[in-house]
Amino acid sequence: MPVYDRGYTHWEPSAARAWPAWWVIARRGIAEPLKRRWLLMLLLLGWVPAIVKGGIIYFKLKAGDIADLLGGGWTSIEPEGFLSFMEGQRFFVFVFLAIVGAGLVSTDRRDNGLSLYFSRPLGLTSYIGGKSLIVIFYYCLVTLFPVYALCIFAYLIAPEAAGLDLLLLTPLRATVYSLLAGGSISLVLLAFSSMGKRSIFVMVWWTIMVSGTETIGAIAEGLGRESVQAINFLGQYHNAGSLLFSSPPRLDVNPWLSLLIVLAWTAAALLVLRNRIRPVEVVS
Amino acid sequence: MRRHLKQSGVGIRYGANPDDKSKMEGSAIKVNRSKNGEDFAIRVSNLNFAYLRDPVLRGVGFELEKGAIGLLGPNGSGKTTLLRCLLGQVPLKSGQVKVLGYDMAGQARLARAGLGWMPERGGIIPGMSGVGLVAYLGELSGMPARDAMQRAHEVLHYVGLADERYRKCDDYSQGMKQRLKLAQGLVHDPDWLFLDEPTSGLDPRGRISILELIRDLAWNKGLGVILSTHLLADVEAVCQEILVLKQGELLAREKIDAGSREPRQVFEVEGFGDEEAFLQGLGALGAEIVPDNRLFLVTLDLARLEGGASAPGTDGYDTAAGVNAILAVAAANDYALRRLRRRPVSLADEFYSMVEA
Repeated sequence: MPVYDRGYTHWEPSAARAWPAWWVIARRGIAEPLKRRWLLMLLLLGWVPAIVKGGIIYFKLKAGDIADLLGGGWTSIEPEGFLSFMEGQRFFVFVFLAIVGAGLVSTDRRDNGLSLYFSRPLGLTSYIGGKSLIVIFYYCLVTLFPVYALCIFAYLIAPEAAGLDLLLLTPLRATVYSLLAGGSISLVLLAFSSMGKRSIFVMVWWTIMVSGTETIGAIAEGLGRESVQAINFLGQYHNAGSLLFSSPPRLDVNPWLSLLIVLAWTAAALLVLRNRIRPVEVVS
Repeated sequence: MRRHLKQSGVGIRYGANPDDKSKMEGSAIKVNRSKNGEDFAIRVSNLNFAYLRDPVLRGVGFELEKGAIGLLGPNGSGKTTLLRCLLGQVPLKSGQVKVLGYDMAGQARLARAGLGWMPERGGIIPGMSGVGLVAYLGELSGMPARDAMQRAHEVLHYVGLADERYRKCDDYSQGMKQRLKLAQGLVHDPDWLFLDEPTSGLDPRGRISILELIRDLAWNKGLGVILSTHLLADVEAVCQEILVLKQGELLAREKIDAGSREPRQVFEVEGFGDEEAFLQGLGALGAEIVPDNRLFLVTLDLARLEGGASAPGTDGYDTAAGVNAILAVAAANDYALRRLRRRPVSLADEFYSMVEA
């Protein structure tokens, strides 16, 4: 019987597997931005530093110390060099996450989408987990995935010189760092997104959070007050990451203090999300 | 309503293949998502709820079997909040709500697999196509991706959005959005469908068409429907029973079945013959008589008539007793009746009399 003659029929579940709700949310959220062509172009642009670093790795492995002339730790193939690379990607992290993450919760709040989500058998954890995974994916897309590509590239061009560290430990460190930092950053971004109903509002706050704190930190450092760097939002992640990569601190702030600050941001974000994400608006 | 529900208390799930006649014609497969197998009911007892410190629901309690239930009340009476309590969308601190056998204080997520929800406001996710949105929400309800997509096409056909299903739902008209919201509520084939003002903002034709769909679901497809609205005509068109809320309290629970709830019934009478004797006879029954052009409006208290106090099978009043009494008086007084009918009592009359009392 053709579908237009059938009327309403009851559903009998097939044997196919149903995906968990958080994965359904994440899958859609990841796929949706990739439909925009300009975002794909921006994504390609985000990989340009990785291509440049790939060229430097080629020189380093094939032409020895000549590559060092090209510039500092960023060109290093030691673990520190990859942390520097991920730190250098902060502009793309800022832009991508602003585009992808700003509307993740605010749009649902604006269009009463939360009521739809929470009329389904999913809980707050699944919702936040799914949305968070979207941000983590795009964070990794410009930080972790290029690191993987560079490590594989280094192994391919000089298997004997690449060494165990480059092949195994560096990708492992980068993975742990990216997942932890990406997870924490995603929660903070979602918390901002949950506080407004308009993406532009979230973007403004995100800009203040990332660029504003970095600028203030840099100015303070220039004035000789290095401790003010503790307010640099993304800087704390890189600084705390130096513990994982066994490299010198990125800021004049104790890396353990940076880790504490990051944990505090994460806890605050979770608290905000727990209070802001609910199917019913309560207006006093 | 002078109709009978075809449905039983238990949902029947037919095979997915409509050509499978054996399944369609009796040997139905029962897919039972209820915890204890038979419990498709909604049980609410002593429910109190407040937003911040403003009490919205006060001591609400009722039990519902599957059927078409209207939730009536003036604006701000707590209808939507009650639906949200039934969905487990708000934290329940006082009282108990059990839906499909699940306690909504702690097992709301399990129950929601069998509940559909059509919100009044918003309820679409911008940027998605109609079919994409419905399939997405189907997957979030626990359906496999392929099943969800197939069901999305089916329910969009059912609600009349087949030709528009690939359009972005942002571009839908108000009527199409209402249909889309109904489709997303149906995609996972719920046992109960909660509808919050489903005809809000629709033109008369769109309203009728949505009501027809809801009626079909409730009366022919075995879904339980709770229709929250302040439009009495919508409830009259679809529901068999009403719950009336006022200021957070359950004011009344009535069946929309004839006007037999009230003992005082009004009859329109017209005839010729010995009018004076006829009217005296009616007066002896305690009737109030008001001339209305060529008619007499005769108000009888059924509770005072023999056999009028209890209609067979109901706890109301037998309107036939009133008719019989008037016929008997007419026969006894040689009064030939040209017209005798009970003046129907509209739901609106009863609603306003309840709410304004």
